Amino acid sequence: MSTAAAGRRADLIDPATIASLGHIEIVARWVVDGFLTGLHRSPRKGFSVEFAEHRPYQPGDELRHIDWKIAARAERWVIKQYEEETNLRATIVLDVSRSMDWRGDDSRLTKLAYAERVVAALALLLLRQRDAVGLIRFDDRIRSALPPRARSGQWRRIVTALEDPGAGLESRANEALEEAARLIPRRGMVVLISDLLMDSEDVIRHVKSLRHAGHQVVVLHILDPSERELPTAVGGANEALLVDPESGIELPATMAEVRDAYRATVERALREWHESLTSLGASYEVVTTDAPFGVPLRRAFAVRQRLP
Amino acid sequence: MEFPAVRYLERAEREHSRKLRLKNILLMLLRVAAVLLVAAAAARPVLRAGGGGHAPTALAVVLDNSLSTSAISGGRPVLEELRARARGAVEKSGADDRVWLVTADGTVRGGARAAVLDAIARVEPLSGAGDLHGAIVRAGALAAEAPMRERELAVFTDGQATSWAEAISPGRVRARIYRVPGDPPVNRAVTEATATPLRWTPRGSIQARVLTPDSATYRVALEGRTLARGTVAANEEVLLRAAPPERGWTAGSVELEPDELRGDDARHFAVWIGAAPSVRVARSAGVFIASAVDALTGAERVIPGGGVAVTPVDEAVSLPALLLAPSDPVRVGAANRALERLDIPWRLGAPRRGESSVRFQRRPAVDSVGAVSVMLRYELERSAGPPSDTLATSAGEPWIVSGPGYVLIGSPIDPSATSFPVRAAFVPWLGDVISQRLSADPGTVQYSSPGEVVARPPGATALELAASGDSARASVLPLHDDSLAAPDRSGVYFFMRGEDRAGALVVNPQPTESQLRRLDLTALAGRLRADDVRAFDDAAELESSVFASAPRRPLVFPLLILALVALLTESVVASGGWRRASR
Repeated sequence: MSTAAAGRRADLIDPATIASLGHIEIVARWVVDGFLTGLHRSPRKGFSVEFAEHRPYQPGDELRHIDWKIAARAERWVIKQYEEETNLRATIVLDVSRSMDWRGDDSRLTKLAYAERVVAALALLLLRQRDAVGLIRFDDRIRSALPPRARSGQWRRIVTALEDPGAGLESRANEALEEAARLIPRRGMVVLISDLLMDSEDVIRHVKSLRHAGHQVVVLHILDPSERELPTAVGGANEALLVDPESGIELPATMAEVRDAYRATVERALREWHESLTSLGASYEVVTTDAPFGVPLRRAFAVRQRLP
Repeated sequence: MEFPAVRYLERAEREHSRKLRLKNILLMLLRVAAVLLVAAAAARPVLRAGGGGHAPTALAVVLDNSLSTSAISGGRPVLEELRARARGAVEKSGADDRVWLVTADGTVRGGARAAVLDAIARVEPLSGAGDLHGAIVRAGALAAEAPMRERELAVFTDGQATSWAEAISPGRVRARIYRVPGDPPVNRAVTEATATPLRWTPRGSIQARVLTPDSATYRVALEGRTLARGTVAANEEVLLRAAPPERGWTAGSVELEPDELRGDDARHFAVWIGAAPSVRVARSAGVFIASAVDALTGAERVIPGGGVAVTPVDEAVSLPALLLAPSDPVRVGAANRALERLDIPWRLGAPRRGESSVRFQRRPAVDSVGAVSVMLRYELERSAGPPSDTLATSAGEPWIVSGPGYVLIGSPIDPSATSFPVRAAFVPWLGDVISQRLSADPGTVQYSSPGEVVARPPGATALELAASGDSARASVLPLHDDSLAAPDRSGVYFFMRGEDRAGALVVNPQPTESQLRRLDLTALAGRLRADDVRAFDDAAELESSVFASAPRRPLVFPLLILALVALLTESVVASGGWRRASR
């Protein structure tokens, strides 16, 4: 890390700044390390195989968990507690369509670059918890599909897959989400990372299916700040011809005039996404590309931590 | 510029499409409004603001004070009612208004409101019809020429049909007419009174006609003396023959009992009364002349004597004389010498034979004589001398001519020369010639209505202004012009030549002024060719109708401000917006 950034946690540094310091793999490690440094470790404790600590016996505790040796030596009953050994199967679904490969300002990462670094960091974080992590990349079709694995080489495979081509002219999340459900045979977690510039009904329908199957769903809605707040001028001109890179639709508009209406529409769309997804029990978070990587990481990891 | 979230813009456009349509309509309305406002401002409109007061107005009040408005209706003169209504209208005027009063005699009074009100109070009824038509036109011109936007004409009249017989065009003014309510009173009037002939010698007759729905009693007076009384039925003519003792120019009148309209209860006439002229007929004048003079003598129209000579030309030695052409052409030379000796500017020329008709041109005319033909006449040749009249022509040439003291006939009075002596009208014509042309000339009578312009008789130097029966207060008006306006009061006035009366001017109201029938309001309004003509017979409606125009305020500046606001709003609204998406 640079001198300026060395004294700070990587998950809280400006994403573009930290991304410029190294390859995605390195950046992901810095981010995860910084994230874990700030995380108060409170792993779920239970009665798995790895011993964690003792606690006094309380009526109702199962007798089989009493440490009889201590009871014999100290004549007091204590219960042996074990650190839970989880084996969550998580699949990260990443939108790599052309709309993701855009940034409103050169000082920021593209939505795709930002999302790829979030994917790498999240995968590393989950794998360090011995969760199985898979990856599905999609645009107008599924570009990559890595089944969830907890093995040590899985993260590198994921990082390598992130470098596969994408940038298709359409986002078809339905196929990707179907594939994710297929890749996770039992209850797990699906993390959809996308700008959600797609048909919401398809997404909602498939999220609903995933929830019926018992999966936890996390949707990270990636937005460039310029997509939330339209710039007042483009190249000094108030008038602009806006072109959708995927559909090719051209829309001439006077920026100052449409800003308020656009802002209201975007906020309404985000609110609809939020209401639709949270009503299904899914977690929905809006992440702008100027937010430190720790923000989406913390949101996704918090969901993970609520799972058994 | 690439922008992935164009779908949000599209959605915003869809969601705001209605707003956009409204915006476009608003833009269009704003632009149209701006254009219309500028165009309206260019027209310099004014706003008739509500509230109290009225716009500065030029009001011309026409007060009909013709004779008919002196009639008593409802217990008081019609003119008094009209004056009250006119006063009410003028009292509504303010300091910014201009007001004129025009009466039926053409008098115009303007100025301050108090002065006009005072003038209204002083208006008196005329003795005649006046000229209501001219007064309305003049009032309309006064209002129309005033430098004000609001111009009103208010006519206060009794609506007499004969005064409103024709359409009147007072110009581009708003016209209001107030007509007294109700029906006119029943009127009896003397509509005609004449004395014939003009000169009584001393016998004559008086003819009169009376307008009355039933019978009426009348009185005929000469110089205030009752000459006769009687009763006349409706549409019956009064004919009175008399040989009064008065001499000279005499004023007379035919009078009825007083009724609601006093001004036409008496009608005046004038007559000259004197002794019958004496006539001397030469033997050679012919039997027809002698017989005719005998008839006139029997009728006391003439008396035998040495006054007027009736003689062939060649035998004439003095004037006045009725000169006859000689029956023998050989006497023509002697006749012309006699004419030259008498300073008569006519000569007898070559005899003309062959029948030709006669046309009488001057009084005494022979209207009922039938066709008069001439078989023998002498050509009458004019020479230098005093002016003369041609009384009759034959074949387009003078046949009977007249001058001071003479009447010359171009044919002998014999049936072989002309059919004139055997016509029934010959004797009256001869009597008129002797009494009117050849006797001492007392002057003539002119009949007129009050204010009418009449010609000054030749030689008249003054007008005696004493009306009939008021000689004690006689005064004399010197005459200098060739014409004069008849006095406003009815009566008989005498022209003076030096100290002598030289004719009469008889002033009577127009007979039509006695017909009091009124037009209804609709017909009355239809007579005026003006803007927004309304007729009322209700005082309250009239008063609310005059000065009714609300104050005007120019709208140019507010309209331009509104146009500017519209343009500014348009520019703000049009400064940005959505456009349709294209692929």
